[in-house]
Amino acid sequence: MSWETVIGLEVHVQLATRSKMFCACSTGFGAPPNTNVCPVCLGLPGALPVPNREAVRLAVRAAHALGGRVAERSIFARKNYFYPDLPKGYQISQYDAPLSIGGGIGVDTPDRGTVEVSIERLHVEEDAGKSLHDRIPGKTAVDLNRAGVPLAEIVSGPDLRSPAEARAYLVAIKQLLIYAGVSECSMEQGSLRVDANISIRRGGDTGFGTKTEIKNLNSFANVERALEAERIRQEGMVDRGERVAQVTLLFNAATGQVRPMRSKEESHDYRYFPDPDLPPLLLSPEWIEQIRGELPELPAAKRARLVSAYGLTGYDAAVLASERPIADYFEAAARAGAPAKSAANWILGEVMTGYNARGGFAVAPADLADLISLVERGTVSLQAAKKVFGEMAASGGAPAEVAERLGLIQVRDEAALEQWAEAVLAAHPGEVARYRAGEAKLLGFLTGQVMKRSQGKADPKGVQAVLQRKLTT
Amino acid sequence: MASRLEEVGRSGLNATLAWSEAALLAEAARADAMATPGPLHGVPLAVKDNIVTTEQPTTCGSRILEGYRSPYNATVIERLRAAGAMVACKSNLDEFAMGSSTEHSAYGRVQHPLDPERVPGGSSGGSAALVAAGVVPAGLGSETGGSVRQPASFCGIVGVKPTYGRVSRYGLVAFGSSLDCVSVFGRTVADAASVLTVMAGLDSRDATTVDRPALGPVTAPASLQGMTIGLPSEYFPADLDPGVKAGCDTAIARMRDLGARVVKVSLPHSGLAVPTYYVIAPAEAAANLARYDGARYGPRFEQDRASRADRGGDLRALYRTTRGKGFGPEVRRRILVGTYVLSAGYYDAYYGRAQAARARIGSDFTRAFGSGIDLLFTPTTPTPAFKAGEKTGDPVAMYLADIFVCPASLAGLPAMSIPVGRTEGLPVGGQLIAAPFEEAKMLATAALLERQLEPEAEVR
Amino acid sequence: MSVTAKDVEHVARLAELAVEPGELPELTAQMDRIVGFVAQLGADRADEADEAVVERYVPGPEATPLREDVVRPADLAFPPAAIAPEFVEGFFVVPKLGPMEES
Repeated sequence: MSWETVIGLEVHVQLATRSKMFCACSTGFGAPPNTNVCPVCLGLPGALPVPNREAVRLAVRAAHALGGRVAERSIFARKNYFYPDLPKGYQISQYDAPLSIGGGIGVDTPDRGTVEVSIERLHVEEDAGKSLHDRIPGKTAVDLNRAGVPLAEIVSGPDLRSPAEARAYLVAIKQLLIYAGVSECSMEQGSLRVDANISIRRGGDTGFGTKTEIKNLNSFANVERALEAERIRQEGMVDRGERVAQVTLLFNAATGQVRPMRSKEESHDYRYFPDPDLPPLLLSPEWIEQIRGELPELPAAKRARLVSAYGLTGYDAAVLASERPIADYFEAAARAGAPAKSAANWILGEVMTGYNARGGFAVAPADLADLISLVERGTVSLQAAKKVFGEMAASGGAPAEVAERLGLIQVRDEAALEQWAEAVLAAHPGEVARYRAGEAKLLGFLTGQVMKRSQGKADPKGVQAVLQRKLTT
Repeated sequence: MASRLEEVGRSGLNATLAWSEAALLAEAARADAMATPGPLHGVPLAVKDNIVTTEQPTTCGSRILEGYRSPYNATVIERLRAAGAMVACKSNLDEFAMGSSTEHSAYGRVQHPLDPERVPGGSSGGSAALVAAGVVPAGLGSETGGSVRQPASFCGIVGVKPTYGRVSRYGLVAFGSSLDCVSVFGRTVADAASVLTVMAGLDSRDATTVDRPALGPVTAPASLQGMTIGLPSEYFPADLDPGVKAGCDTAIARMRDLGARVVKVSLPHSGLAVPTYYVIAPAEAAANLARYDGARYGPRFEQDRASRADRGGDLRALYRTTRGKGFGPEVRRRILVGTYVLSAGYYDAYYGRAQAARARIGSDFTRAFGSGIDLLFTPTTPTPAFKAGEKTGDPVAMYLADIFVCPASLAGLPAMSIPVGRTEGLPVGGQLIAAPFEEAKMLATAALLERQLEPEAEVR
Repeated sequence: MSVTAKDVEHVARLAELAVEPGELPELTAQMDRIVGFVAQLGADRADEADEAVVERYVPGPEATPLREDVVRPADLAFPPAAIAPEFVEGFFVVPKLGPMEES
């Protein structure tokens, strides 16, 4: 039986604010437990929420980046459930009137090319705290520093068809949100979290099977692994004639298995209702448009422009556009006069290696452009330029100076070249004779000998020209 | 002050919860240390025990907050202290302000100051009794569905509920958040108004407060010339208690004497108010009271038997036992009702319809005030103070004690009760209801009317 | 519509509220009385036509104010440790959840 997998993802990203969603506590990561807390995020009797303007602004920005329709009026709602890290016994979220509806994102999938994955909605909400189940033997320890941190929840349509596509979607979402300056999207720090819904159906069917939800997946790799495990589990069940039950599952990264957490009917009556502590969130059309205007160029547009404006290949453009600083670096180098193709080659090679190793650029884009121009003019060889780049990254300095200091400037002085050439021809009379008898490939050998004699400084093109002239006269 | 509180403590009124002489002295010292005496310099206030203060416990009349001390003060407490007022004591209340008789306190019922067998009304019965007994000139209560006007009426004092959004709720322990208002009792209109004026105003910590010009001092006008008072027929049913009716008739006659035009009006959806209230308030309460689970503050309760919870292990058992034992019967009923009306499949039938009914009740008032009515006048309660135990057997009968006070709460309107006379020795209150943010008009009218009435005289 | 003991048990579970078996009959009867009382809202069918146009009615401001994104440490008279029933090494401590629920 051939099964089709249907996956939709709920992505929770932390909005990059200084203070929490509904109170003035810090969102800083790594503070001692229960120190970034106040009456509001502790859920103390009598405390009330007041929304953070910046969180709303960033959520609107995310909605624009995803092409959503931002609602001028949205409603905060209470989602009611009991859990030790949920101090009020409800989470302030949005339900039937979310901040933004619709939109989509282009995802490069392994099997289906670029797929437009629809976005159903985006809403703002507060995060819960952290429950630690193995901190104190036999007990659960609760840290509420995270409680109240602002989140945007982005719900995709059921448009993904494999665990690998789910991962590709996450890569695209993360890239987009980092670009838009909405979130740092760090799974390690909990600023990006994923819940995955998955079902299977017969190939060609248009209806949906019963879905299960996998919660709290802590890395993109684990999203893919968990979905793969669940896909296999569901297919096995249906193949054995069993029915898939609607359950919430947890993924165990150590064993690679999913296990049921609780059944839907048991705890999923969230009894949403409008939060009476918060009047409607009204956004003026002017503000919504102003925020749209603040949006930087997004990855898809940037990729297209790198191709059209610089004549790059789609591959080079995609790699350069994968992170905003890299694309910016490329364009700065191009503006400083570097030919696009050379700049791209340099960035995809030397520059990215350094960037990934140290998390920043060691050589200014204008210096890279100067170095490229030294190569283009034949002042240094490509080989030598790589040495120059390494030295610039390590100790700084302008490319020409460094090349000079390292003695890597190529010699094109006719007299010098002729002197080396004559010495080489004199030293290898046999090869000279064979060349003249028709063994043309010996020109390479002789050129190499001149280069060696010049200690690599001779301009190879000039050397060849001089040798040819001398050998044919 | 301390001796008065001690005396009242011995009297069996059971109106006070936490107070101490040391705290009182500290309050007095704080007021005296102010560079310039505030408008409420040295005025002692009874504070309903669902308004948080750092010095005393805030129990909400519940076992679930027994001994709980708030690490912060309510906005109203900060403002009153800044004006020189003193917190004299925390006062008893129906648990979490749910009740109309102050019989539903985990710390015992409050007695009516004039008749120990009767109730003072509720839920702010403690503050009402302390003001009526002359222990303090004014006190703070809270209203969700009439919990200040109704006990003010029963106790023969003034009770004022401001427009929703006029006074900050920050630090008022939430019951029904879309209805809750910090409200005030006074021996006189002027006393109540002076406290309200200090408390009122925008608070950056409460998103539901409204930016409005401050309330000025209240001065009684010379007459009610040019005023139109509306009498909603739905509030004067045929079976209205004769004493209550006589009291209201007296007040209406005085208003006519003072030059007011008195007209009949209709608020046709008034009958929906109590059922609407008993959907919305419990729904909000069920969520508001979810935080009391024994995890972060307040006492924890143990299971009687060593029976493990059916699922979810020890934490679920802690939740259920703490909440099952920590909340009293009325609070538990309302949490269950509120959970029921919001649960899957019932939301539209109950909560959805209640929202629609609330809108109709609100538009009744909008139409009335839009037709040239300045103020509405009604009885505050259908009967004078009833006997303890009289309505505890039937929750719905208790709810109907609030039939005339609920509508203004649902509509968020300012409303107040003033004593209009006595029937068989028990006070009768008349209610004034104003358009949103028309507190000044309402208080000025009441201040003038108050002079023309004899609140301690029998009405005929 | 009438409330059954099963309904009461269900909402009690949702509300995490222990109900002793002995209390169930009376509680069910009271719930039925209250729910029956508020159900009269449903009987008000005369106005059904304008149901759709009636907006949610809530007093107070029309729009929520928004706070500036400024960190201000809480001014607490005493720390969380002073109010918590169990507090160890900076953490609120509660009994363990069942293994089905830990995440």
